[in-house]
Amino acid sequence: MCLSLCGSRHHPIACIVPPYMLRVLVLRGEPKIADMARTLLKQTEKLRDERAELTRAGLPPAQPLSGAFAATAVSPAEGLCCPDRRIHDGQHRAALPGRLVRSEGEGPTGIPDADTAYDAAGQVFSLFAEEYGRNSLDGEGMPLTATVHHRRDYNNAFWNGEQMAYGTGDGKVFRTFLELSVIGHEMAHGVIQFSGGLIYENQSGALNESIADVFGALSQQRALGQEIHKADWLIGRGILGPGINGTALRSMKAPGTAYSDSMLGQDPQPWHMDHFVTTTDDNGGVHINSGIPNHAFYLFCSYLGGRSWELPGRIWYRALQTLNNPMASFSDWADQTMDSAIELAGRGSIETVMLRRAWKLVGIAI
Amino acid sequence: MIIEIAAQGGFGGIPAASLHKTIDLADQPEQMRQELSDAFEPVELARLASQPCGPDADRMTYRITVTEDRQSHSFTLKEQQIPPDMLDLIDQM
Repeated sequence: MCLSLCGSRHHPIACIVPPYMLRVLVLRGEPKIADMARTLLKQTEKLRDERAELTRAGLPPAQPLSGAFAATAVSPAEGLCCPDRRIHDGQHRAALPGRLVRSEGEGPTGIPDADTAYDAAGQVFSLFAEEYGRNSLDGEGMPLTATVHHRRDYNNAFWNGEQMAYGTGDGKVFRTFLELSVIGHEMAHGVIQFSGGLIYENQSGALNESIADVFGALSQQRALGQEIHKADWLIGRGILGPGINGTALRSMKAPGTAYSDSMLGQDPQPWHMDHFVTTTDDNGGVHINSGIPNHAFYLFCSYLGGRSWELPGRIWYRALQTLNNPMASFSDWADQTMDSAIELAGRGSIETVMLRRAWKLVGIAI
Repeated sequence: MIIEIAAQGGFGGIPAASLHKTIDLADQPEQMRQELSDAFEPVELARLASQPCGPDADRMTYRITVTEDRQSHSFTLKEQQIPPDMLDLIDQM
């Protein structure tokens, strides 16, 4: 992707200088500078069009939906039916994808991690397909490839642009990564990538993380049939090691309280902009500051009650499809969720009032 | 040759949970010593660090420092820039 830190194939200045600065240079720069800015602006626009074209799949209809509580945020994709799951065993080595152990429609393997990965991938597929009309992660029915037993004592799970991979954990800090909110989180990274992407650093990176947490939590709640006030809003419940003092990796309901342990320290997530953490570690604190938009989503859901994967999920999903700004700040994202809420619930609706209140409570005015 | 590896990042984003290993090749069996010294050759690490890398979501970042003849070379590599065989070596260390 253009704005990625490495491997850019586009003009680096076109990617780094934001369009609004280029427009200022066109107006105020010396003739040579203005010419350069004009050229770069054209390139930026072309790139934006290309990105929009790439992300057409799963886009909401061009005409805004009218009326309160429109049934869906998007038109269901053509031929949307069934997942195509392919679960591999990495056999504790790093090469991907490893040995294929279970394909779509096959019975359980008896390998607990592989069977959990298979079942959970089906639940996440079903969330995006049945609730938001999206056909797999790319919107075009791509296979859901996952590798379990990735590397040895590996304390991580990730999406590599093509597939999911899950370590076993070292048994001390982490005991597993095969948990539905974690699997939903990783698969949501795929959805985000194919929705135009969010640069994985600073605020846009924290949004990438937060949106992945949101759809991880929604996968979990929907599978359990849990309403908003019954849900625990935890990401990675039960995945920490047996000796760790903590219940989960993150809490959307109460960021900063998921664990407090002599070895791991305190969960560092803030819930308000006043406590935004500025750091160069962790790609600019992407797993830390995600607590802020996470909490806004939780607050919005708790004000509305009912089922999180219905209207709140549709608003977040639609906002992701229409964002078209890989460098979005928290404030940009909050504005986008408001636009979606207006389209889905109506201008001046109680839902838009509650959404504004939720963002305000975490320190973001819209 | 002394190889020091410190990892950060990943899905958990917990610094204290990150991997940190230091090994002295002089203490390794002959075959492992050869494999490690080939894989962690500073020229090779510099080549890997300059390679393009794919999506970053939840990936680890490795800070690798190689010290030989009182000279240290440090490299920062994304997990996706490191070949699988080398990751297996890191896991075995």
